Amino acid sequence: MSETAPAAESAGAPDGHPDDVLRVRDLSTRFFTEEGQINAVESVDFTVRDGEVFGIVGESGSGKSVTALSLIDLVDSPGRVTSGEVWYRDADLADEFRDELPEAVDGDFVDTRQLPEGVRRALRGPAFSMVFQDPMSSLNPSITVGEQIAEAVEVQRRARANPRSTRSRTQGYGMGRLIADALLPNRGYTSESSMNRAIELLEQVGIPDPAERAHEFPHQFSGGMLQRAMIAQALAGEPDVLIADEPTTALDVTIQAQILNLLRDLQEEQDTSVVMITHDLGVIARMCNRVGVMYAGQIVERGTLADVFDSPVHPYTEGLIGSIPDLDDPDPRLQPIEGNVPSLLDEEMGGRCFFADRCPKAMTDCLQPTPEYDAEPGSDDHAVRCVLARREYSEADALPSDHFDRTEEVRGDE
Amino acid sequence: MGYGRFLLKRGVQGVGVVWGVVTVVFILRFITPGSPIDTVAPLDASQETRQRIAEELGLNQPLYIQYLDYLWELLQGNMGYSYISSIPASVQVFQKLPATLELAVAASIVAVVISIPLGVISATRRHEPADYAATSFSLLGISTPNFWLGIMLVLVFAVEFNVFPTSGRAYGFMDSLAAITGPEPFFTVVTAWIASLVLPAITLGTYFTALITRLVRSGMLDELSAGYVRATRAKGLPESLVRYKHVLRNTLVPVVTVLGLQLGTLIGGAVITEAVFAWPGLGSEIIRAINARDWPILQGSLIVIGTGFVLLNIVVDALYAYLDPRVIAE
Amino acid sequence: MKIGPLSISPRTIRNLRKEFRSSGLARIGVVLVVVIVLAAALAPMIAPHNPRTQDLDRAQLPPLGFTDTEQQTRTEMVNGSVQTVTENVTVNASAQHPLGTNSLGQDILSRAIYGARTSLLVGLFGTVLAAVLGVTVGLTAGYYRGRVDDALMRTADVSLAFPSLVLAIALIGLFSRFQADVAVAVTDPLVTSGVAGSFREAVGLPTPMPETFVLPTVVILVVGFVNWVWFARIARGEALSIREEEYVKAAQALGASDVRVVFRHVLPNAITPILVLATIQVAAIILLESSLSFLGFSGTTLSWGFDIAQGRDYLSSSWWIATVPGIAIVLSVIGINLVGDWLRDALDPGIEGEGGM
Repeated sequence: MSETAPAAESAGAPDGHPDDVLRVRDLSTRFFTEEGQINAVESVDFTVRDGEVFGIVGESGSGKSVTALSLIDLVDSPGRVTSGEVWYRDADLADEFRDELPEAVDGDFVDTRQLPEGVRRALRGPAFSMVFQDPMSSLNPSITVGEQIAEAVEVQRRARANPRSTRSRTQGYGMGRLIADALLPNRGYTSESSMNRAIELLEQVGIPDPAERAHEFPHQFSGGMLQRAMIAQALAGEPDVLIADEPTTALDVTIQAQILNLLRDLQEEQDTSVVMITHDLGVIARMCNRVGVMYAGQIVERGTLADVFDSPVHPYTEGLIGSIPDLDDPDPRLQPIEGNVPSLLDEEMGGRCFFADRCPKAMTDCLQPTPEYDAEPGSDDHAVRCVLARREYSEADALPSDHFDRTEEVRGDE
Repeated sequence: MGYGRFLLKRGVQGVGVVWGVVTVVFILRFITPGSPIDTVAPLDASQETRQRIAEELGLNQPLYIQYLDYLWELLQGNMGYSYISSIPASVQVFQKLPATLELAVAASIVAVVISIPLGVISATRRHEPADYAATSFSLLGISTPNFWLGIMLVLVFAVEFNVFPTSGRAYGFMDSLAAITGPEPFFTVVTAWIASLVLPAITLGTYFTALITRLVRSGMLDELSAGYVRATRAKGLPESLVRYKHVLRNTLVPVVTVLGLQLGTLIGGAVITEAVFAWPGLGSEIIRAINARDWPILQGSLIVIGTGFVLLNIVVDALYAYLDPRVIAE
Repeated sequence: MKIGPLSISPRTIRNLRKEFRSSGLARIGVVLVVVIVLAAALAPMIAPHNPRTQDLDRAQLPPLGFTDTEQQTRTEMVNGSVQTVTENVTVNASAQHPLGTNSLGQDILSRAIYGARTSLLVGLFGTVLAAVLGVTVGLTAGYYRGRVDDALMRTADVSLAFPSLVLAIALIGLFSRFQADVAVAVTDPLVTSGVAGSFREAVGLPTPMPETFVLPTVVILVVGFVNWVWFARIARGEALSIREEEYVKAAQALGASDVRVVFRHVLPNAITPILVLATIQVAAIILLESSLSFLGFSGTTLSWGFDIAQGRDYLSSSWWIATVPGIAIVLSVIGINLVGDWLRDALDPGIEGEGGM
């Protein structure tokens, strides 16, 4: 299956809710490795609203982390975002580029993927920021925590001082200035005021003795404390969208609850939108307003929490929800989803629904690429990439259970 | 533990090592063939003359007494007198030291100033022409014997093009300072000084430039794939800051380690460079003393070099601890 | 594949081959090393002339492709009075001496080929000596730990505390008065057996070639005694980690003697970083030997370093005398370094940095 045709039907931002702050359309990210092309993210659509928590849930290898990285252009080679639009609402930015790049601007929305690279990078910090899974390996071990947070503060400060020339921040700090700053004590990138703000932020995230701890190094913090510090760093730029990639996975269960509560409190206080990436349905249930379910690089179902948890349409979502043990009515055995996740190698992914080989309700319709449908007619939010949104399951059209075994044997002979 | 206490601990260890050096140098005289008497006495000296000389030099006393005398004199700053010139050894040795220091410092500056940016460029522009050029240069640099490089440089710049002097040291750092107020014109003195320093400094510095470039390049390539690099970019820090303030700093840690191990090569290289350029420093002095069996000078020079070496190692440790604070906690 | 007590796994061979195929530099390195080794081994057969034969009539000939102008003065009778006339004479290269001759009329190419012998022998033997000493000490220290480890490593630290090159220069220099006794003259089997002679007659090269060859023994010994520390450190590190492995404990539980455990289990698995270090050391020792020869300390005159020292006096008139041996050194060391890189990339032992003198 080769690259999908570019979605060029309608220029401008996709439709959505007036409160949207982020609208992603047809985002695709590919990795070009020695073993072949890996389609990590495949035509992903979703929206994030102002002040909400949007969850992306999926197993490992489903592409959720890569999606997050693709939003802020942090995909390293051999990977690349190959297509798609990321519409971000920022009136000032829209005004700035309205004349220069008319196709990239639609009302208050700007397609960041069409912006010059420097400008896109400048959005990191003030517009988007990210919290990573393992805080200990996400901070520089030889620079104090306070200094690193102060850097994030400074990024924001300088961005605000130059609203119309966001490019200037990415240039002009070369080796020469580094030596000068190293030799002259007061001329660092950060300043005393950014350090003070960093200490304030540490206090905000609940770290005791913030003034002292700011001068300590990451290895002197516990895991939970360090994750709080990372959250402080992510919020330093006062971002519109905070992306949290498995923020609690590396932490103890008791600490997890604390961190999640912290995130929720901060998010409400500052009205930041959060994209919460996790494989833990409990976290989703606890934190999120709307959810997207990812499988094999695609979003297979998305909607409000109630839509996805109470009335899932896609059999994968059903399987996920069904795999949660129910204390009131425990089955003697859990109900796993049969089979394994696909490899995402381009040559092995057939032009069909990627879940069909594991799906208990697979039908002949599923042997073609499946677009996204509205789950209920006229539904604003709930969308699903499954033919079951259009028709009922019927045994008559069901695929035989060994259909894919045979196909793979045939392919093996080539 | 704290930075200060760390340095103190290293300093105390250093004293112990210096003592070891002094002892080894002392023993050296007894395990090599020949005797100091042969150096001092005229060739046709009679037995009595030789006996007298032996007594004067204190060579008839038991070993441990000679050793203790030796230590005692050293603590007072007395290294004996040159067998050849009868000048106090300490005077002669410390007179020659500044020249060697100049050479070593100049070579180090050349090496660091060129190699670090070169290594960074090479790592960040991988597989581009700049990288290939830097990698080829560094391969050549660590494979070229420095004395031959010196001779080739002399051939090209001094013999063919007559830009720099072929050998010798015209003026020194102190002369340049003196010339600010002194009789000779400052500009002439400084240019002559620098001109005579250029070729020797490049000769001594090339190996290290190449070595550091290689280390910085491979270190940065490793470091750039560390987790915090992505996180630091994610918070919007300009790329140059990511490279220089974060990645390079951590890269320099193993570089400094290896440099510490290579200090011996720097000192040895200085000895050879001095031989090539007739640079009047401690290295030339050692070779002269070896050939003439001038023990007080030889021992004095070796002790000074050994002590300097220990001091340099402490400086390297201090730098290492500054770059990687986790070291102090161990 | 087994070499004595060391076994090389098929996986290692596969990695080596893969890296060799993909890296052009590795191939260049191997070619250079093979050329140098062949030159050194077959020197009596392929050198155009006897490197020691002097021919003052044909001194300072330039290499092929170059001409040299020299000033010659002679006295003449002009109009009854004696006058000295200076004129510029062009000296042409000779096909018999493709790289020219030095001030004594010795063929530079032949001296370069024989010089390879000196460098390689010192490099190899010196490294082997240092490796045997160092690995033994290091494995012992790492395996037994405790007091043995402390004592041995303290010695190593003191050794390292001194700039090793200076120590080597001092030791060799102080002993050099007696080098004539200590440097060994080895007979050259290719010559004494007549193989070289018959080959050369068949090909038409002048005979005879030197029957003995000077091996700078003191240099080798000093180098071995100064460099063992690098091997000891690596070996010790490996021993410390390998001794914790399951198969070592199993062997101990079965009652195997310590020597047997170390030899059969610890050593073979520690061999990779030691091998990489060895290539770095050979390169470093070749550079060291040339430096010592340059200073006149090595006890042999058939050495690249010595030739460079000689050529230095003739820099302005016959630059090739000093240049050719230097190029030989650079090519050899580049070759060895590239091979070392190849080994390291293929085997990835994870040793830090470069250990050398």
